[in-house]
Amino acid sequence: VTDLEPISSAAKLKTVLVVEDEVLTRVSICEYLRECGFLVIEAANADEAIIVLSDPDLPVDVVLSDVEMTGTMDGFALAQWVRRHKPGLSIILAGTPARIADAAADLCENGPLLAKPYEPQLLLDRIKRLLAEIKPLASPNSGSIVTPLLKVL
Amino acid sequence: MQAPADGAEPLDEAKAILLVEDEILIRLVVAEELAEAGFRVIQAANGDEAVKILQSSIPLDLVMTDVRMPGSVDGLRLAALVRAGWPELKIVMMSGHLLGPPPDLQVDLFLSKPYRISSAIEKVKQLLSGDRQ
Repeated sequence: VTDLEPISSAAKLKTVLVVEDEVLTRVSICEYLRECGFLVIEAANADEAIIVLSDPDLPVDVVLSDVEMTGTMDGFALAQWVRRHKPGLSIILAGTPARIADAAADLCENGPLLAKPYEPQLLLDRIKRLLAEIKPLASPNSGSIVTPLLKVL
Repeated sequence: MQAPADGAEPLDEAKAILLVEDEILIRLVVAEELAEAGFRVIQAANGDEAVKILQSSIPLDLVMTDVRMPGSVDGLRLAALVRAGWPELKIVMMSGHLLGPPPDLQVDLFLSKPYRISSAIEKVKQLLSGDRQ
């Protein structure tokens, strides 16, 4: 899937679970979503996401997840888990920071405040800037083998 | 403190806390309480993530860290790194294993788990009152 798909029920969404193992990307995306009115739960990997999703006291309306992640499962496996254990819960898989920024902007379009706090390009620029500022660290996720993907399951 | 570099940064004057905790449900609750108290909370799931945030331009006032965490940087190592590289930052250490703050680390506040969040937040507020330069 190459085009962003709208989420028809987005206007009713309140809580977004963001699953992203790159901390600077996660921090930026979560801050953006909070600024447009969402309650945001941050998970550093799919294992943490499953802990959250298994807790009946933590209702989640939509999951926005990276594809390639450290931990015991990647985004695809998380999507399969969601389909099996939380059928009806929307999960958006986005394989690059640009896709994640676009998906977050899409959520904000129909979010609680019906507004984007700022353009997604600014969000993406901020992520790129934060990533560029730090000393390069060896990361298994630093390659570009992930196919851009956004899919609502 | 590093100034925001573009328009994407929040413009408010909220003090920024880097919360480092590997137990997600604890992290979630503490982060929510801190945010409700008016702090800007940046969450890290372990010490390695915390170091990455410290190395970035994200402005911070205080690091609140667990001690036992997976990865190459536990809370003790993180506190030592903060003291060496970011001496202006306050450090709050939380532990269910240590009986008190490590004597060789200049920790500003030690919280023995379990602790009352409301009491902890009051102490954090005191630590940060009028602190930002």
